[in-house]
Formats: sequence, C-alpha cells, structure tokens
Amino acid sequence: MKNIVNTLLLFVIFSVGTKAQENGSVLIQNATLMTITDDIIENGDILILDGVITEIGTDLSAPSGVPVVDGTGKYVMPGIIDAHSHLNTVSTNEARNPVTAEVTMEESINPNSVSIYRAIAGGVTSIHLMHGSANVIGGQGETLKLRYGVSQDAMRFTGAKRTIKFALGENPTRVHGQGNGIQPRTRMGVEQIIRSHFDMALDYRVSREAYLKAKKAYQDDRRGRTAPPVPVAKNLRYDVLNDIIDGEILVHCHSYRADEILMLMRVFNDYGIKNYTFQHANEAFKVAPEIAKNGAYTSVFADWWAYKFEVYYSTAYNATILNENGVTNSINSDSNELIRHLNHEAAKTVRYGETSEADALKMITINPAIQLGIDKMVGSLEEGKHGDIAIWNGHPLSIYSKVEQTYIDGKKYFDLLTDPVDMRIAVDSDDSFTEAGFNTFIKGREEDSCMSDVFELIQQ
Amino acid sequence: MKINRTLVGMVSFFTILLAWAQLPLLAQEAPAHAITNVTVHMADGSTIENTNIVWRNGIIEQVGVNATIPFDAFVIDGGDSLHVFPGLIDGMAIWGSPDVPRDLPRLENPGKPPYDRAGAQPERIPAHYLNEDKAFQAAMKAGFTLVALGLDGQMLPGHIQPFNLSAATLSQAHAFSDPMALQGSFDTAPGGWGSGAYPSTQMGVMAYFRQLMYDASALQEHMMYFEKHSDMAQPEQNDVLEALFPLVNNDYPLFFEVDTKEEIERLFRLQDEFGFDVVLVSAKEASALSEELKARNIAVLASLDVTEMPKWLEKETKEAEKNDEEAGKSADEDDNKEGDEKEELTEEELVFRTKQKQAWEEEINNIASLVKAGIPTGFTSAGLSPKEIQQKIDLITEHTSLEKSDLIGLMTVQNANILGISNRVGTIKEGNSAHLILTDGPLFEKGTNIHIQVSQGVINDFMEE
Repeated sequence: MKNIVNTLLLFVIFSVGTKAQENGSVLIQNATLMTITDDIIENGDILILDGVITEIGTDLSAPSGVPVVDGTGKYVMPGIIDAHSHLNTVSTNEARNPVTAEVTMEESINPNSVSIYRAIAGGVTSIHLMHGSANVIGGQGETLKLRYGVSQDAMRFTGAKRTIKFALGENPTRVHGQGNGIQPRTRMGVEQIIRSHFDMALDYRVSREAYLKAKKAYQDDRRGRTAPPVPVAKNLRYDVLNDIIDGEILVHCHSYRADEILMLMRVFNDYGIKNYTFQHANEAFKVAPEIAKNGAYTSVFADWWAYKFEVYYSTAYNATILNENGVTNSINSDSNELIRHLNHEAAKTVRYGETSEADALKMITINPAIQLGIDKMVGSLEEGKHGDIAIWNGHPLSIYSKVEQTYIDGKKYFDLLTDPVDMRIAVDSDDSFTEAGFNTFIKGREEDSCMSDVFELIQQ
Repeated sequence: MKINRTLVGMVSFFTILLAWAQLPLLAQEAPAHAITNVTVHMADGSTIENTNIVWRNGIIEQVGVNATIPFDAFVIDGGDSLHVFPGLIDGMAIWGSPDVPRDLPRLENPGKPPYDRAGAQPERIPAHYLNEDKAFQAAMKAGFTLVALGLDGQMLPGHIQPFNLSAATLSQAHAFSDPMALQGSFDTAPGGWGSGAYPSTQMGVMAYFRQLMYDASALQEHMMYFEKHSDMAQPEQNDVLEALFPLVNNDYPLFFEVDTKEEIERLFRLQDEFGFDVVLVSAKEASALSEELKARNIAVLASLDVTEMPKWLEKETKEAEKNDEEAGKSADEDDNKEGDEKEELTEEELVFRTKQKQAWEEEINNIASLVKAGIPTGFTSAGLSPKEIQQKIDLITEHTSLEKSDLIGLMTVQNANILGISNRVGTIKEGNSAHLILTDGPLFEKGTNIHIQVSQGVINDFMEE
C-alpha cells in the first residue's frame, strides 16, 4: 500500500509535468566523495544549495529546510555524462543528403521518453544527444540534462558548447554512395565532401559579407548614386559550417579506422579546426600519439566491435592505450541499455588495461564534460559546480553497486527506495495496458542505433 | 491552365447577348427568396420565433418577425415548426484535392530535390486543382455552407481559400474569396526510401522551411531593387518563393496542422524567428499550451477527433452508475456480490489506469479548456466524415462542459472570425451573405433532418431526394 501511495505521489509530481527547470538543495553527510578532479574524501559532507555545490568538507550543517541524507557507507560521485547518446530523439538521421549541418537535435528532443528515467537510475545526469551517422556532416547535437518531466526546452544544458556530428567510413558511403549513387562512394569521397563543403561555406561567407556591406552602402547613400547589390540569401547550412571553422561548434566525428582518423586530423589542420572528438574510434589506439599531438579527444566503447567490416580490428585495451598516451578519452554508451550501467563500461578499462580507478571514473565524468565544453559546470565534485550527483551504495566501479539517488541541479530525480512501478509521463488514451509497452525492457544493445531512421526508411 | 475554346466562344456570345439585353436586365432585379415562420437560432445561442428571412442576390435583406416578403419572392414556408441556423463553416478541409502522387520517380540527387518533391508547393491555389469529391455533397447535406479548402501535401501544400458549398464539384466560380492564408505542417518530403527526398525528418523540415524563408526574403529584396534599377541583374522567376512573400511580410497567416505539445512548441520557434501569424489546425494537445497561445494571440481550428473512452473506464463508469441506482432502490439489502465480481488489479495496472484516465480527460477536454482559457477556437473537420463528426459531438458533449450550441458556435461565428470573414458569414443578420440551414429540429440532435441548405443565397433542397 505504501508503495502505491508513493507511486501516486510521484505521479502527481510528474503529471504536473513539463515544468521549467527547478533547482533543489540537499546535504549529504559522512559519505565517500569521489571528487574525480581531486582526492577521494572519506567521511565527507557535500552541501548543494539551490542547485549548486556550495561546500565540500566535514561536519557541515544544513540550513533550515534543506534535507539531509545520511551517506554512511555510501559513495557520492558526480553524475555520469554520456558523450554519445540517441536516448530520446524524435528522429536521429536526416539521411537524405551527405551534409545536413543545418538540422539540429535541439529540435528532435522527446522529453517524454521513459528511457530518460532509466538512464537517471543508472546515475547519468547529462547526455550528448547526437544526430546519427548516415551523413558525412550530420546534424548539430544537443547536450541535455536528464530533468525528467520538464519540457523539451527545459532539458537543454544551458551554457553547453554547440556540437555537430560528422561521420566517416561505411555508414555515409553505404547510405549515399551505394544507396543513392552520389558522392561519397569511398573514403576518398568522404574527405572531399568535407573539404568541398568547407570551401563552399568560406566562399559563401565572402559573398554574403560583400553583399551586406554593399547593401549598407546602398541604404546609406541618400543621393542614390550607389547601385544596389544582388542579394545573397542567408544560408543556414554554410553558416553552421563557418561556425565550425570559427571554433564555435565542437565536432564529434563517428570514425573507426586509423587511416580515416589521420585523414580528418589533416583536414582539420588545414582549416584550423580544434577541440574535436573522435566517436567510437575503435582503431584510435593505433594512432594514439598522433591524436594526442593534435589535441584531439576520443570517446569509445569499452569492448564492442565486429558489427560491421570496418569494426573488426578492435581491442578492449583501446581506452587504456589512449589514456596512457595522454588522450582525453571518454567511454560512451550509444545505447539506451548500456547507458544504465556506464560504470561497468568504465570498470572494464580497469579490468582489461589496468587503468587506474581514478582515470576510469574520469572517462564517464570529467572527460566527456571536457569533450562537450561543460567541464567548468559539471563532471566533478567541486564547489561552484552544478549539483548533479549520484549516491551509490558501494564503489561505483563495483559490479554489485547500485545507484540509490540521483540529483540534477540539487533536485532529486531518482530514489531507489521510492522508485515507482511506472514512470511513464505520456500514456495514450487508446493504448491497452498490455499493448502500452508497460513491461518492455530493452534487451541488450540495439543494432547500430546511429543508423536508426535509415533502416526504417529502407523498410518502407 | 487549358482554355476550352468552346467555353470562350460561349462566354463571348453571352456577353454580347447581355449587352443587347442590358436595359431590361437593369430594370428588373433578381428575384428574392424568403423563408417564413421559422425559429431562427442566433450566434449567441438565443432564438427568435415566428421569424421571416429574406435574401436577394445572395445577401440577407431582412430578418425579423415583421419582415415583409417582397412580391417577387420565392417563399419557403417554415410552418411554425422549422428552424434556421447559420450555415456551418469548416475551418479547413482538403476535399477535392488531388491525392499526393504515388510511385514517384527516383531522384538523381535526393538531397537537392525540386521544391515539390521536398514538399514545398506554397504556390498552389485550391481553385486550380479541385476535383470531383463526394465529400462536398456529404458536407452540404450535413449543413455546411462554406469551407476553407487547402490541398493534400506536406510541409507547404499551398494556399487556403474559402469556397461556397453549393455544388457537387467546386471550381473558381464557387470561391467565396481570394486565398487568405498559407497551409503548413511538419510533414516530410513524399516517397519512401527509394524515391524520397530531403527533408525526411521533422528537424529537416524545420531547417528547410527556414532556408525557404531566407531565399524568399532575398528574392523579394532583389525584385524591389530591380524595380528601381533595371540595369542590374534580373531576379529569377520563382513561383514557389514568390508565394512565400505574404508570409515573409506577415500579410497572411500560416494555417499549420499540428497536434502534439512538443510540435506546437517547435512551431513557436519558427514563428519567433519569422514573425508570421499562426492559426493552429487540429491541435489535439493545444490546451496544454493555453497561456502561450493566448500570449501569442494564436487561434485554433480544433479537430473533434477524440478517442473513445477507454473500455475499462467505460465499464467502471457504468458499474458505478448501476451501483448508485441499486443503492437507491434497496439501501437496506446486503450486497456481497459486488466484492466478488471486482477485478483484481496489479499495482502497475492501477497506476496505468490513473494515468490513462487523466490522459483521456485532457484529450476530450481540449476544446473546452481552450474555450475556457479564452483562445479563439473554431472547428476543422480534419478528415472526419459528417457521420463521424456527429459521433464525436455526442462524445464530447456527453463528457465535457461543452454543449451542442457551443460546438455550433465554433462551426459558425467562431470560424468566421478566425477566417476573417465574420463581416459576411457566421451569423444571420441583414447585410450578411445568405448562408443558412433549415432543419426540422435542433441541430445535431437525433432525428433532426436538414431540409434545405443555402450557400451564398443558392438553395439546395435535400428533402426532394
């Protein structure tokens, strides 16, 4: 009965739904604090006030009205950040052109997906919602905070850097080359798509700026002696490409093979593009020193490969080798199932490559934060950072540990003790109970979620 | 457009004939029409009994108990028992529209499709495309006298144009006015994997829409320059972009078909960027955004297409009613049976049912909530047949605070307001166009027949059939 009451109570809270962001406060006492960027603090306290970590220390007291959580025997760590997710997209791939920089996942957010809640239950507080890998230059990404129950806009991570998806290799050549008989058909073609589009964007910028200048001169000339310019329309796609060149947008590039990783670094050096991340990057270990030298990042799977030809040459030591070579590496899920236990994925680097526990945890916290340009706000337990944390009942890298509570901006979004039986927000009036997908669980990893929509289109 | 030579010949012949016969024609007006002794239902729901209505040339000349019947009037006697309502207006339908073509040829470059293959056909005007459609006749029989027609398509299917419903097939001759809005939706480019094109997702549609607006702005600017400076490069001829000028300049509203809260929010983004006026079409979750709609002064043409009450809820409601009755009859009797028959439900299903009940109540109350919030709310058939509309009206009036007269208001005066034609239709008064229906009982009640439908003064008698 108590459970039902709790469930209904939570239901009331969530059914109000689609509210704007709310901040909360909490004091957690006497816990092991996994700070990530500093030493582990035993028997420490952490105080979050109005969404911000205001104090880390011992014997802290809570201002009146602030709930206190006894952290004895528990571990507190910053919320996990998944640098590669398609968790709650409306659609993932605008797969009809090799370059679709103008589309953005900001306009493809489904705030009602129950998968958000499942991810929070795994201690995840932020994700990088990405476009798929059908196109060489795909759509822009959107970094989200998993504030379950708010509107699509309120899910957005304010202040996060803008990002964009690139994709090399088999996916874009299969979709566009084989599928439509257009460039790119080969890896060479992929490179040329990138170069030619950057060049076109630069040309556009020159002519657009010249037009705006001439237009101003025409408007300012009261005597009417200046000829008007032929207008050059604003071009959304080229504007975005220029923003990449200007460093306003961080590139996250789907890639596998070492040769294509080297190729993209050459191209980006030619255009002065920095601070980019290779996603998946199964062969990155072969060129780890080169990646480090270019200051590029990697975001990899712990041990997943062989799902297509270009992913055969892989190793579970990839993350460790990259880390040892000084590459800022993260471990991502790219899966609505794996995202629920990214701590296990990080732990595999300890198991396989003997990466230190501290570095393993960085790979799911501060490192992805760096790659998304949010490391000043989240990714570690530091005063002044956002109150995005998870309380674990044991060491986060242990297979036996569970998340007990998850907070975002100091507000509790998950509590194992009061975990309701049904956390869906959106229920259709005409679904039957059995048809409503109520008891469906994600069984293992989906086939290549980066290519969703494309397969659906093919099946049509 | 093909010009029929015979038609041109005939028109010329009759023009000459008319010129020859001009004097007598001017001296003699078209005959008047009158409906006498009827109960007239006014826009506010009030009624006037024993009233006469007189119209000539499609315009109502007199309404009232003492209205005099002109000597030349063709008179329909209401015989005290008949009712007259304002003609119903469908705020948006795509009747008569050509179907979206099937088996589209594969494109050489799906990433750069021609406008129509991308789903952008804003240049299309319904009058030029209308086909024969049984829906026209069915709507007339159901009491509709006017419809704002759009076309079947995707992102930008064309213009919206109001038509008088007075023939089984409509043409330009039945146009009530010029096109007055553009039609839009988030629908993606037509065709499946083989023959589809960009944009194939909603985010793609949004980006493509933006680019169209930028291109249209640039073309308009170019044309303005060229008017003054003929020595500059000539602007391109582009019907599609030119059709968007009214949207760029906010001369037209965009009638946008959209249902979910999230999609309506995405439409707000586009509106914020380009500043055009919006009318929501269908809008099944619009009431969740009432405050925002009000702030933006957005009207809604609401669909009546609500889901039936969930089966379990219907059963539960009926049982509750039955129990109440029985409790009333035999309050002193012991009742052990009820406990035995009750369904055993898991905790999960209980929660599911609580949520589903709330979802259904929100859905069925969408229109009532919009009206209550003061949002200008009208009606669109949105694909429902007259029979289905009747069913949904029964469903909505049974379960919400809305009454049939409220829904008639949506279909008449509210729709006239939203379509910007309230100075001509929506109410029965002198000077308005004669859009009326004559019935033998209250509208949308069981057993009520529609005897006559009058659209722009033209009488269609359905009792003769």
